[in-house]
Amino acid sequence: MRSLLPLAIAVLLAGCGKAHEEKPHKAPDAPVSITNAGQQIDAMRRGVPIDKEASPPPMARVENFDRPRPINYEMQPPTIPHAIDNYQLTVNTNRCMLCHTRSNAEKFQAPPVSDTHYVTRDGKILEQISSRRYFCVQCHVVQTDAPPLVENRFQGLDTSFAAGETR
Amino acid sequence: MTTRRDFIRASAVATAASVAGIALPPRIADAASEAPGAGMKWSKAPCRFCGTGCGVSVAVQDNRVIATHGDPEAEVNRGLNCVKGYFLSKIMYGADRLTTPLLRKKDDQFSKDGDFVPVSWDEAFDVMAAQFKRVLKAKGGAGIGMAGSGQWTVWEGYAANKLMKAGFRSNHIDPNARHCMASAVTGFMRTFGMDEPMGCYDDFEAADAFVLWGSNMAEMHPILWTRVTDRRLSNPHVKVAVLSTFEHRSFDLADIPMIFKPQTDLAILNYIARHIIKEGKVNEDFVAKHVSFKRGNDDIGYGLRPDNPLEMKAKNSKDPNGGQPMTFDEFKAFVEPYTLDYAAELSGVEKGWLKHLADLYADPRIKVMSLWTMGFNQHTRGTWANNMVYNIHLLTGKIATPGNSPFSLTGQPSACGTAREVGTFSHRLPADLVVTNPEHRRHAEEIWKVPHGLIVDKPGYHIVEQNRMLKDGKLNAYWVMANNNMQAAANLNEEGYPGYRNPENFIVVSDPYPTVTAQAADLILPTAMWVEKEGAYGNAERRTQFWHQLVKAPGEARSDLWQLMEFSKRFTTDECWPPALLAANPGFRGKTLFDVLFRNGKVDRFPPSDVEAGYDNAEARAFNFYPQKGLFEEYAEFGRGHGHDLAPFDAYHQARGLRWPVVNGKETRWRYKEGSDPYVKPGSDWQFYGNKDGRAVIWALPYEPPAESPDKDYDLWLATGRVLEHWHSGSMTMRVPELYKAFPAAVVFMNPDDARARGLKRGDEVKVISRRGEMRSRVETRGRNRVPRGLVFVPWFDAGQLINKTTLDATCPISKQTDFKKCAVKVVMA
Amino acid sequence: MSGGRVRAMWNRVWSWISPYWDALRRPSVHFSLGFLTLGGFIAGIFFWGGFNTAMEATNTEAFCTSCHEMRENVFAELKTTIHYNNRSGVRAICSDCHVPHDWTDKIARKMQASKEVWGKIFGTVDTREKFLDKRLELAKHEWARLKANDSLECRNCHEYDSMDLTRQSPRAAQIHQRYLGTGKNTCIDCHKGIAHHLPNMTGIPQG
Repeated sequence: MRSLLPLAIAVLLAGCGKAHEEKPHKAPDAPVSITNAGQQIDAMRRGVPIDKEASPPPMARVENFDRPRPINYEMQPPTIPHAIDNYQLTVNTNRCMLCHTRSNAEKFQAPPVSDTHYVTRDGKILEQISSRRYFCVQCHVVQTDAPPLVENRFQGLDTSFAAGETR
Repeated sequence: MTTRRDFIRASAVATAASVAGIALPPRIADAASEAPGAGMKWSKAPCRFCGTGCGVSVAVQDNRVIATHGDPEAEVNRGLNCVKGYFLSKIMYGADRLTTPLLRKKDDQFSKDGDFVPVSWDEAFDVMAAQFKRVLKAKGGAGIGMAGSGQWTVWEGYAANKLMKAGFRSNHIDPNARHCMASAVTGFMRTFGMDEPMGCYDDFEAADAFVLWGSNMAEMHPILWTRVTDRRLSNPHVKVAVLSTFEHRSFDLADIPMIFKPQTDLAILNYIARHIIKEGKVNEDFVAKHVSFKRGNDDIGYGLRPDNPLEMKAKNSKDPNGGQPMTFDEFKAFVEPYTLDYAAELSGVEKGWLKHLADLYADPRIKVMSLWTMGFNQHTRGTWANNMVYNIHLLTGKIATPGNSPFSLTGQPSACGTAREVGTFSHRLPADLVVTNPEHRRHAEEIWKVPHGLIVDKPGYHIVEQNRMLKDGKLNAYWVMANNNMQAAANLNEEGYPGYRNPENFIVVSDPYPTVTAQAADLILPTAMWVEKEGAYGNAERRTQFWHQLVKAPGEARSDLWQLMEFSKRFTTDECWPPALLAANPGFRGKTLFDVLFRNGKVDRFPPSDVEAGYDNAEARAFNFYPQKGLFEEYAEFGRGHGHDLAPFDAYHQARGLRWPVVNGKETRWRYKEGSDPYVKPGSDWQFYGNKDGRAVIWALPYEPPAESPDKDYDLWLATGRVLEHWHSGSMTMRVPELYKAFPAAVVFMNPDDARARGLKRGDEVKVISRRGEMRSRVETRGRNRVPRGLVFVPWFDAGQLINKTTLDATCPISKQTDFKKCAVKVVMA
Repeated sequence: MSGGRVRAMWNRVWSWISPYWDALRRPSVHFSLGFLTLGGFIAGIFFWGGFNTAMEATNTEAFCTSCHEMRENVFAELKTTIHYNNRSGVRAICSDCHVPHDWTDKIARKMQASKEVWGKIFGTVDTREKFLDKRLELAKHEWARLKANDSLECRNCHEYDSMDLTRQSPRAAQIHQRYLGTGKNTCIDCHKGIAHHLPNMTGIPQG
């Protein structure tokens, strides 16, 4: 039974959501009888059977507190600690680099992008950010306040990288 | 093996600095030398997610992955990863990893309506074998099926293919890749007679224009998008055109942004062909020497069940793949109706944009790379769309040279390497061979050292049909590996779920995590993933990449390869093969399928000592031979000398992947072109040797409407798709906290005006309802996707919101790939 | 246009208005001076009121978005931004930001806007492509106007003295204090593109 423990935890975690509606969706004129699918094991379903529909959790809010989060290991792109709603990041303009470019970082007290970002695909070092890194949000993402449905047991090196380091 | 110190020395920054002769900024140098973690071991692996095939450096300490980086030496990504790739370290460590087989039981017996109980592998396989034998006895191999994957490693797919097609004599094996790029395959086969792209990723640095035909590369192929972005921003003459039915992140780089009405891409493609002809921009010499013309059958139906009125009505639903030769002049007349006015009217795209797009292709000075993924492939005319984009490249001769590249991208890490090259489709055998061709079957039987006449000559059920056949009770023993098809397949309510829960059926699901599909199964087998086993993937540019087993799988979890081989020990040829065949080949009598398929003197040829020193290999320990190497070398026999040449096994553990055909140790970057492809006959310049006449086919194909369109009852288009942070059904990425918190739940992307007209606000709970079912979600009127009025977009990664309860299982009748981009729904306040 | 044709046209126009002009020049023979003065005054009120009502009508969102150039481009873009949809439901319409509230400036802006009517008639931006090509020029006018008036239209709603910085994110609060509070910068210096997509910003300072 011990091996079912993680499952049980996951299902418990999942049970936190609002109870699902009992009314099953009518399987349109299904000719075959359907055997009950038993207890729920997929934490992502939040305890709701496959043939039922649950109320989705409320829309999560983007965390907007501006304090850099610790990273798990070197070279992990730091997550974005603020909202980026309506930041324009297009071929025409890059809102992120307004503050995070080296020359402005001091002025806006933002962490400057790391030195790796100034290197081209061919290994040349540039004065400005390499255009392969132009679309910041391919690697850096915001974080909402949604509580994870399943715990993750990843363990990095015990020496965690200091908060605010932006490599 | 590299030490950490070596690794840092080789990292992009250090290399760059030494090349440029610049001293490293002190912060980086310090970080490199002072970083903790001496004693951890770095190895290479390809990324576990999409078909881009990025290289990753993986750090392991004490049997755990503790860090991952983009591999600076990997040609594909040169040190970069997307956000998913950067968090690969965490995908194996979700707290609910399955560590023991789970069987539905009641009163200590298997029972379809029982609850999951942990059992031993012995008990699991005993029950499973008994169920498979029940079905074998009643129906033979015809009652046994397998849903496989473009996430299988090459040898796993190969072993599964053998077990099903030779062992159980069932062709009902099909990968989830059917949902992903089957239309690309049939497109290649119809035009070139041979699968997979002629070009490669080097085209990104050579092209002058990029055209995205239904692909959101910015989110789905982010690292390839960095190469497009790099090229566009560093070279002002370069243009990017993006076509879609709604505006997404790839539009942020677009010079030519085009929102078209669903399905009308077909008309736009024919307009471009017409424009090229009218403007006199046909490459006449190329067309005369290298191209032939065919008129394809039209009115081919929608791949629904045969009794569906749409199928009964369609003229050519029985022969969708047919066609007749035609002349160039006839082709010119065929595209004549597709004028600029007509294309603009049908598609709703401004004429100016259409003309700019057509000119990119028509102008002989502009090297064009066309890129597509699910917008083309998940299309009831997906094969046509693929054929039609080749049409315009062939008319202009813009093909198989650097930067001139019609390029089909793939969504899974080994959609090409495993699903396509190994031929795990229900009609295929390795290296583009097919089960319907007697010579092909004979060739396969010879390589496999099994009796002639063993392989069944009819294609099996494809993956969409498998759900229908489970429901109808024709398929009764079913093994699902490395996919989450209950969540992924369309029309869950009417086909998938009733099929799995049909009391006649026994459903086995092998997965690392308890997915929706596992939930619907009767037996769940815990599976080793990614670097918990030795593996090989093939990416979208024909690059085959290997990795070693780096850590042990948790608990009792075992690789798919071990599961397939171990399970085969429980069957004898007498139980699986017809008596007449055994009478003619008495030497095979009484042997287990394991003996016949895997102890055949080839697969078991290499001893465990061949495994590279310093790396574990659970399967070599279990079977006392090196099955990955044996399977790979046997498999490679199919392609060597036939245009699919693979390098020797060990070479791949050294290289950062090699692009086939690998001839005399050299990979091939552009196929079909003299000088870069060793298979092209000298003096022929181009040679499309997949077709007997060496010519590629331009297909005359019309615009035809979709299977279902919005009407007064269901007034919105529904398109489903993906988001950057989650990969496919989310079973891995939803368990990584950073990725989960970045995009925790699916939403209904809706135009603000549509929302207002329905009295809906952002965040409101709504029901998305179709003729087939409904799901609950929340309205999103902002965010990364800006949809036009009349269309909603819902991502399908969220197991908590199964949008495939509403989708329609209409497919391209040629490729049998589902159209997940078009069906009719309504959205109402919940 | 040749001189001859101008003269011919003038002659035609004159022949049309000259009877009325003569009547206006003649002293009144039927009405008293008092009546005319009062009548003129009342007529003036009606005219004035009508003028202002008409002008206000051109300030409504319905008017601004009645042509597809506005509706499909800038208005569509506005809809996903905070100035259209937000926590408190207080929202801006086109004229809040683009038409000065002060009367004289408003008239000046409206006279400029008559040029936009020509644009509409001649189809200057009647496709998305033409609009995108023209956007930089159009945006520059607005940035210059807002820079010159110290972001007056922003400040009609967002007055620095009324900002509770503790209710802003620390990052926003700090930047507002350092740059807006000291008068070093004005709103538009940092908030270009707050409500619409930006054109190519190469060489244009944004903060």
